[in-house]
Amino acid sequence: MRKIVVIVAVVLTLISILFSILPLDTLALAPIGLALLFIFLAFKKSDVKQRKFTKLLFIITYICALYVLGKTYLIKDKVTVDTKFEQEKVDSKKEDLKDLEGLE
Amino acid sequence: MKKVVFSIGVFMILCSFNTDSSNQIPPGEKLVYAGSYNMSGLMTQLAQVTLSTEMVNTSNKSYLHLNCELATFAKWDKFFKIRDTYEAYVNPTTLKPSLYKRNIEEGGWTKKEKYVFKGNSVTSTSKRKNCPETTKTFTIGNSTQDVVSLMYRIRTLDFDKIKTVQSQSFVIVFDETQIPVTIKLLGTETIPAGNLGSKKCYKLSIGAKTDVLKGKDKNLIYLTADSKKIPVLMKFSIPVGTGQLALTSATGI
Repeated sequence: MRKIVVIVAVVLTLISILFSILPLDTLALAPIGLALLFIFLAFKKSDVKQRKFTKLLFIITYICALYVLGKTYLIKDKVTVDTKFEQEKVDSKKEDLKDLEGLE
Repeated sequence: MKKVVFSIGVFMILCSFNTDSSNQIPPGEKLVYAGSYNMSGLMTQLAQVTLSTEMVNTSNKSYLHLNCELATFAKWDKFFKIRDTYEAYVNPTTLKPSLYKRNIEEGGWTKKEKYVFKGNSVTSTSKRKNCPETTKTFTIGNSTQDVVSLMYRIRTLDFDKIKTVQSQSFVIVFDETQIPVTIKLLGTETIPAGNLGSKKCYKLSIGAKTDVLKGKDKNLIYLTADSKKIPVLMKFSIPVGTGQLALTSATGI
Protein backbone atom coordinates (compact mmCIF):
# COMPACT_ATOMS: atom_id res chain seq x y z
CA MET A 1 0.00 0.00 0.00
CA ARG A 2 2.78 2.43 0.95
CA LYS A 3 4.53 1.70 -2.35
CA ILE A 4 1.44 2.61 -4.38
CA VAL A 5 0.91 5.84 -2.45
CA VAL A 6 4.58 6.82 -2.89
CA ILE A 7 4.44 6.06 -6.65
CA VAL A 8 1.29 8.19 -7.04
CA ALA A 9 2.94 10.99 -5.02
CA VAL A 10 6.03 10.87 -7.25
CA VAL A 11 3.96 10.93 -10.46
CA LEU A 12 1.88 13.85 -9.18
CA THR A 13 5.03 15.72 -8.12
CA LEU A 14 6.44 15.29 -11.65
CA ILE A 15 3.15 16.55 -13.15
CA SER A 16 3.27 19.48 -10.72
CA ILE A 17 6.76 20.41 -11.93
CA LEU A 18 5.64 20.15 -15.56
CA PHE A 19 2.48 22.21 -15.02
CA SER A 20 4.46 24.84 -13.09
CA ILE A 21 6.93 25.29 -15.95
CA LEU A 22 4.27 25.41 -18.65
CA PRO A 23 2.14 28.60 -18.92
CA LEU A 24 -0.82 26.95 -17.21
CA ASP A 25 -1.00 29.46 -14.39
CA THR A 26 -3.14 28.38 -11.42
CA LEU A 27 -4.21 25.23 -13.24
CA ALA A 28 -0.91 23.85 -11.89
CA LEU A 29 -2.36 24.09 -8.37
CA ALA A 30 -4.63 21.10 -9.10
CA PRO A 31 -1.80 18.51 -9.39
CA ILE A 32 0.13 20.36 -6.66
CA GLY A 33 -2.81 19.97 -4.26
CA LEU A 34 -3.20 16.29 -5.09
CA ALA A 35 0.56 15.75 -4.82
CA LEU A 36 0.60 17.31 -1.34
CA LEU A 37 -2.29 15.03 -0.30
CA PHE A 38 -0.52 11.86 -1.47
CA ILE A 39 2.79 13.02 -0.03
CA PHE A 40 1.04 13.46 3.33
CA LEU A 41 -0.47 9.95 3.04
CA ALA A 42 2.92 8.52 2.06
CA PHE A 43 4.50 10.33 5.01
CA LYS A 44 1.93 8.86 7.42
CA LYS A 45 2.43 5.33 6.06
CA SER A 46 6.22 5.54 6.26
CA ASP A 47 8.46 4.59 9.16
CA VAL A 48 10.61 7.33 10.64
CA LYS A 49 13.61 6.05 8.59
CA GLN A 50 11.62 6.08 5.34
CA ARG A 51 10.36 9.66 5.66
CA LYS A 52 13.39 11.36 4.08
CA PHE A 53 12.12 10.74 0.53
CA THR A 54 8.58 12.01 1.23
CA LYS A 55 10.08 15.12 2.84
CA LEU A 56 12.05 15.73 -0.38
CA LEU A 57 8.86 15.35 -2.46
CA PHE A 58 7.13 17.80 -0.12
CA ILE A 59 9.89 20.42 -0.53
CA ILE A 60 9.79 20.11 -4.35
CA THR A 61 5.99 20.42 -4.47
CA TYR A 62 6.04 23.30 -1.98
CA ILE A 63 8.54 25.17 -4.21
CA CYS A 64 6.27 24.51 -7.22
CA ALA A 65 3.31 26.01 -5.32
CA LEU A 66 5.35 29.09 -4.35
CA TYR A 67 6.57 29.49 -7.93
CA VAL A 68 3.04 29.28 -9.38
CA LEU A 69 1.56 31.70 -6.82
CA GLY A 70 4.53 34.05 -7.29
CA LYS A 71 3.98 34.09 -11.05
CA THR A 72 0.26 34.70 -10.55
CA TYR A 73 0.48 37.56 -8.07
CA LEU A 74 3.86 39.22 -8.69
CA ILE A 75 4.21 39.26 -12.49
CA LYS A 76 2.03 41.92 -14.13
CA ASP A 77 -0.05 40.73 -17.06
CA LYS A 78 0.34 42.61 -20.32
CA VAL A 79 -0.84 42.27 -23.91
CA THR A 80 1.79 42.04 -26.64
CA VAL A 81 1.55 44.74 -29.31
CA ASP A 82 0.53 42.81 -32.41
CA THR A 83 1.45 44.88 -35.48
CA LYS A 84 -0.43 42.56 -37.86
CA PHE A 85 -3.57 42.87 -35.76
CA GLU A 86 -3.21 46.66 -35.54
CA GLN A 87 -2.78 46.94 -39.33
CA GLU A 88 -5.84 44.73 -39.87
CA LYS A 89 -7.85 47.12 -37.69
CA VAL A 90 -6.77 50.13 -39.77
CA ASP A 91 -7.64 48.34 -43.04
CA SER A 92 -10.95 47.14 -41.62
CA LYS A 93 -11.93 50.67 -40.62
CA LYS A 94 -11.31 51.95 -44.15
CA GLU A 95 -13.53 49.16 -45.50
CA ASP A 96 -16.23 49.96 -42.91
CA LEU A 97 -16.37 53.60 -44.03
CA LYS A 98 -16.88 52.44 -47.62
CA ASP A 99 -19.71 50.15 -46.45
CA LEU A 100 -21.33 52.99 -44.52
CA GLU A 101 -21.07 55.32 -47.55
CA GLY A 102 -22.78 52.61 -49.59
CA LEU A 103 -25.65 52.43 -47.09
CA GLU A 104 -26.55 56.12 -47.48
CA MET B 1 -11.78 28.31 -24.41
CA LYS B 2 -14.14 29.18 -27.27
CA LYS B 3 -17.08 28.79 -24.88
CA VAL B 4 -15.43 31.21 -22.47
CA VAL B 5 -14.87 33.79 -25.18
CA PHE B 6 -18.35 33.29 -26.63
CA SER B 7 -19.94 33.63 -23.22
CA ILE B 8 -18.03 36.86 -22.58
CA GLY B 9 -19.44 38.15 -25.85
CA VAL B 10 -22.96 36.97 -25.15
CA PHE B 11 -22.76 38.06 -21.55
CA MET B 12 -22.04 41.59 -22.64
CA ILE B 13 -25.37 41.58 -24.45
CA LEU B 14 -27.79 43.67 -22.54
CA CYS B 15 -31.12 45.10 -23.33
CA SER B 16 -33.36 47.98 -22.43
CA PHE B 17 -36.19 49.05 -20.24
CA ASN B 18 -36.86 52.73 -20.97
CA THR B 19 -33.98 54.73 -22.29
CA ASP B 20 -32.92 58.01 -20.74
CA SER B 21 -32.18 60.20 -23.75
CA SER B 22 -30.26 62.72 -21.62
CA ASN B 23 -27.62 60.08 -21.02
CA GLN B 24 -25.49 59.82 -24.17
CA ILE B 25 -22.47 57.59 -24.69
CA PRO B 26 -19.43 59.87 -25.05
CA PRO B 27 -16.98 59.43 -27.94
CA GLY B 28 -13.37 58.96 -26.85
CA GLU B 29 -14.27 56.74 -23.92
CA LYS B 30 -11.94 53.82 -23.18
CA LEU B 31 -12.69 51.11 -20.63
CA VAL B 32 -10.12 48.38 -19.97
CA TYR B 33 -10.98 45.13 -18.19
CA ALA B 34 -9.05 42.15 -16.93
CA GLY B 35 -10.81 38.97 -17.99
CA SER B 36 -10.40 36.12 -15.50
CA TYR B 37 -11.48 32.51 -15.44
CA ASN B 38 -11.78 30.25 -12.41
CA MET B 39 -9.00 27.66 -12.64
CA SER B 40 -8.32 25.32 -9.72
CA GLY B 41 -10.47 27.52 -7.48
CA LEU B 42 -8.51 30.70 -8.21
CA MET B 43 -9.50 33.49 -10.58
CA THR B 44 -6.77 33.49 -13.23
CA GLN B 45 -6.34 36.48 -15.52
CA LEU B 46 -6.45 35.32 -19.15
CA ALA B 47 -7.18 38.32 -21.31
CA GLN B 48 -7.63 42.04 -21.59
CA VAL B 49 -10.93 43.37 -22.86
CA THR B 50 -11.03 46.94 -24.16
CA LEU B 51 -14.22 48.84 -24.90
CA SER B 52 -13.74 52.10 -26.78
CA THR B 53 -15.88 54.64 -28.58
CA GLU B 54 -15.11 57.19 -31.28
CA MET B 55 -17.07 59.35 -33.70
CA VAL B 56 -16.59 58.64 -37.41
CA ASN B 57 -17.89 60.73 -40.28
CA THR B 58 -18.91 59.76 -43.78
CA SER B 59 -19.79 62.35 -46.44
CA ASN B 60 -23.39 62.62 -45.16
CA LYS B 61 -23.60 61.19 -41.65
CA SER B 62 -21.84 60.78 -38.34
CA TYR B 63 -21.68 57.40 -36.62
CA LEU B 64 -20.56 56.37 -33.17
CA HIS B 65 -18.06 53.56 -33.56
CA LEU B 66 -18.31 51.12 -30.67
CA ASN B 67 -15.36 48.80 -30.44
CA CYS B 68 -14.82 45.78 -28.19
CA GLU B 69 -11.45 44.03 -28.32
CA LEU B 70 -10.39 40.89 -26.55
CA ALA B 71 -6.69 39.94 -26.45
CA THR B 72 -5.03 37.24 -24.39
CA PHE B 73 -2.15 38.28 -22.13
CA ALA B 74 1.35 37.62 -23.50
CA LYS B 75 1.92 34.53 -21.33
CA TRP B 76 -1.10 32.80 -22.89
CA ASP B 77 -0.36 33.75 -26.51
CA LYS B 78 1.87 30.72 -27.17
CA PHE B 79 -0.67 28.43 -25.55
CA PHE B 80 -3.90 29.83 -27.04
CA LYS B 81 -3.72 33.23 -28.70
CA ILE B 82 -6.95 35.21 -28.99
CA ARG B 83 -7.49 38.45 -30.87
CA ASP B 84 -11.21 39.11 -31.18
CA THR B 85 -12.96 42.29 -32.16
CA TYR B 86 -16.65 43.12 -31.98
CA GLU B 87 -17.61 46.43 -33.61
CA ALA B 88 -20.76 48.38 -34.28
CA TYR B 89 -21.39 51.64 -36.11
CA VAL B 90 -24.47 53.19 -34.59
CA ASN B 91 -26.58 56.32 -34.63
CA PRO B 92 -24.98 58.50 -31.88
CA THR B 93 -28.41 59.39 -30.42
CA THR B 94 -30.53 56.27 -30.73
CA LEU B 95 -27.67 53.72 -30.75
CA LYS B 96 -29.47 51.90 -33.57
CA PRO B 97 -26.88 49.90 -35.52
CA SER B 98 -26.08 50.31 -39.21
CA LEU B 99 -23.12 47.96 -39.34
CA TYR B 100 -21.93 45.22 -37.00
CA LYS B 101 -18.71 43.27 -37.41
CA ARG B 102 -17.18 40.37 -35.57
CA ASN B 103 -13.64 39.24 -36.24
CA ILE B 104 -12.54 36.14 -34.37
CA GLU B 105 -9.00 34.78 -34.15
CA GLU B 106 -8.75 32.06 -31.54
CA GLY B 107 -5.87 29.59 -31.47
CA GLY B 108 -5.51 29.59 -35.26
CA TRP B 109 -9.26 29.37 -35.89
CA THR B 110 -10.78 32.40 -37.62
CA LYS B 111 -14.25 33.69 -38.35
CA LYS B 112 -15.36 36.98 -39.85
CA GLU B 113 -18.92 38.23 -39.74
CA LYS B 114 -20.47 41.40 -41.07
CA TYR B 115 -24.09 42.44 -40.56
CA VAL B 116 -25.55 45.31 -42.54
CA PHE B 117 -28.77 46.67 -41.02
CA LYS B 118 -31.43 48.18 -43.30
CA GLY B 119 -34.66 48.74 -41.42
CA ASN B 120 -35.93 45.33 -40.30
CA SER B 121 -33.67 43.50 -42.70
CA VAL B 122 -30.16 42.25 -42.01
CA THR B 123 -27.70 41.08 -44.64
CA SER B 124 -25.02 38.98 -43.05
CA THR B 125 -21.74 37.84 -44.55
CA SER B 126 -19.85 35.10 -42.77
CA LYS B 127 -16.45 33.57 -43.51
CA ARG B 128 -14.90 30.77 -41.47
CA LYS B 129 -11.38 29.45 -41.87
CA ASN B 130 -11.13 27.03 -44.81
CA CYS B 131 -14.81 27.53 -45.66
CA PRO B 132 -16.42 29.52 -48.47
CA GLU B 133 -18.03 32.85 -47.67
CA THR B 134 -21.78 32.72 -47.08
CA THR B 135 -24.33 35.50 -47.38
CA LYS B 136 -27.76 35.48 -45.81
CA THR B 137 -30.59 37.99 -45.56
CA PHE B 138 -33.10 37.70 -42.73
CA THR B 139 -35.74 39.80 -40.98
CA ILE B 140 -35.42 41.02 -37.41
CA GLY B 141 -37.78 42.69 -34.96
CA ASN B 142 -37.97 46.45 -34.49
CA SER B 143 -36.04 46.40 -31.20
CA THR B 144 -33.50 43.73 -32.18
CA GLN B 145 -29.94 45.00 -32.03
CA ASP B 146 -26.46 43.61 -32.24
CA VAL B 147 -24.45 42.59 -29.18
CA VAL B 148 -22.21 45.63 -28.99
CA SER B 149 -24.80 48.36 -29.41
CA LEU B 150 -27.07 46.72 -26.83
CA MET B 151 -24.21 46.61 -24.38
CA TYR B 152 -23.97 50.38 -24.65
CA ARG B 153 -27.72 50.93 -24.81
CA ILE B 154 -28.18 49.61 -21.30
CA ARG B 155 -26.06 52.49 -20.06
CA THR B 156 -28.63 54.96 -21.31
CA LEU B 157 -31.39 53.41 -19.17
CA ASP B 158 -32.91 55.25 -16.25
CA PHE B 159 -32.57 52.75 -13.42
CA ASP B 160 -34.19 55.07 -10.90
CA LYS B 161 -37.48 54.31 -12.66
CA ILE B 162 -36.95 50.55 -12.65
CA LYS B 163 -38.15 48.47 -9.70
CA THR B 164 -35.92 45.84 -8.12
CA VAL B 165 -36.49 42.29 -9.48
CA GLN B 166 -38.42 43.76 -12.40
CA SER B 167 -37.38 41.97 -15.58
CA GLN B 168 -38.08 42.36 -19.25
CA SER B 169 -37.44 40.23 -22.33
CA PHE B 170 -35.57 41.34 -25.44
CA VAL B 171 -34.00 39.91 -28.54
CA ILE B 172 -30.47 40.16 -29.86
CA VAL B 173 -29.00 38.96 -33.13
CA PHE B 174 -25.93 36.76 -32.79
CA ASP B 175 -24.48 34.09 -35.07
CA GLU B 176 -27.25 34.91 -37.58
CA THR B 177 -29.81 33.89 -34.98
CA GLN B 178 -32.16 35.96 -32.85
CA ILE B 179 -31.66 35.15 -29.15
CA PRO B 180 -34.14 36.23 -26.44
CA VAL B 181 -32.45 37.93 -23.49
CA THR B 182 -33.83 39.06 -20.14
CA ILE B 183 -32.39 41.57 -17.72
CA LYS B 184 -33.34 42.01 -14.07
CA LEU B 185 -32.34 44.71 -11.60
CA LEU B 186 -31.33 43.00 -8.33
CA GLY B 187 -30.41 46.08 -6.28
CA THR B 188 -27.24 48.04 -5.52
CA GLU B 189 -23.81 47.07 -4.18
CA THR B 190 -20.47 48.84 -3.64
CA ILE B 191 -17.80 47.41 -5.96
CA PRO B 192 -14.06 48.22 -6.56
CA ALA B 193 -13.88 50.00 -9.93
CA GLY B 194 -10.21 50.18 -10.98
CA ASN B 195 -8.90 53.74 -11.18
CA LEU B 196 -12.35 55.06 -10.19
CA GLY B 197 -12.04 53.67 -6.65
CA SER B 198 -15.02 51.98 -4.99
CA LYS B 199 -18.37 52.78 -6.54
CA LYS B 200 -21.98 52.16 -5.64
CA CYS B 201 -23.33 50.04 -8.50
CA TYR B 202 -26.56 48.75 -9.93
CA LYS B 203 -26.55 44.96 -9.85
CA LEU B 204 -28.20 43.40 -12.90
CA SER B 205 -28.87 39.77 -13.70
CA ILE B 206 -28.70 38.61 -17.31
CA GLY B 207 -30.57 35.64 -18.71
CA ALA B 208 -30.40 34.39 -22.29
CA LYS B 209 -32.23 31.53 -23.97
CA THR B 210 -29.01 29.80 -24.89
CA ASP B 211 -26.99 26.90 -23.47
CA VAL B 212 -23.99 29.18 -23.01
CA LEU B 213 -25.14 30.90 -19.81
CA LYS B 214 -25.84 28.76 -16.74
CA GLY B 215 -27.61 29.21 -13.39
CA LYS B 216 -30.20 31.64 -12.06
CA ASP B 217 -28.88 35.13 -11.23
CA LYS B 218 -25.29 33.90 -11.68
CA ASN B 219 -24.60 36.06 -14.72
CA LEU B 220 -24.27 39.54 -13.35
CA ILE B 221 -23.25 42.99 -14.44
CA TYR B 222 -22.54 45.93 -12.17
CA LEU B 223 -23.00 49.48 -13.52
CA THR B 224 -21.98 52.53 -11.52
CA ALA B 225 -25.06 54.07 -9.95
CA ASP B 226 -24.38 57.51 -11.40
CA SER B 227 -25.10 59.28 -14.68
CA LYS B 228 -22.18 57.56 -16.48
CA LYS B 229 -23.28 53.99 -15.66
CA ILE B 230 -19.84 52.51 -16.29
CA PRO B 231 -19.79 48.69 -16.29
CA VAL B 232 -17.27 47.89 -13.55
CA LEU B 233 -17.72 44.16 -13.07
CA MET B 234 -19.29 41.38 -15.12
CA LYS B 235 -19.56 37.87 -13.74
CA PHE B 236 -20.49 34.92 -15.88
CA SER B 237 -21.34 31.30 -15.25
CA ILE B 238 -21.10 28.83 -18.12
CA PRO B 239 -21.29 25.01 -18.30
CA VAL B 240 -17.48 24.69 -18.04
CA GLY B 241 -16.92 27.12 -15.18
CA THR B 242 -17.13 30.70 -13.98
CA GLY B 243 -15.29 33.91 -14.76
CA GLN B 244 -15.40 37.67 -14.62
CA LEU B 245 -14.41 40.92 -16.28
CA ALA B 246 -13.17 43.52 -13.81
CA LEU B 247 -12.59 47.16 -14.73
CA THR B 248 -8.94 48.17 -14.42
CA SER B 249 -8.95 51.53 -16.16
CA ALA B 250 -11.54 54.04 -17.35
CA THR B 251 -10.54 57.11 -19.37
CA GLY B 252 -12.41 59.70 -21.42
CA ILE B 253 -15.63 59.13 -19.46
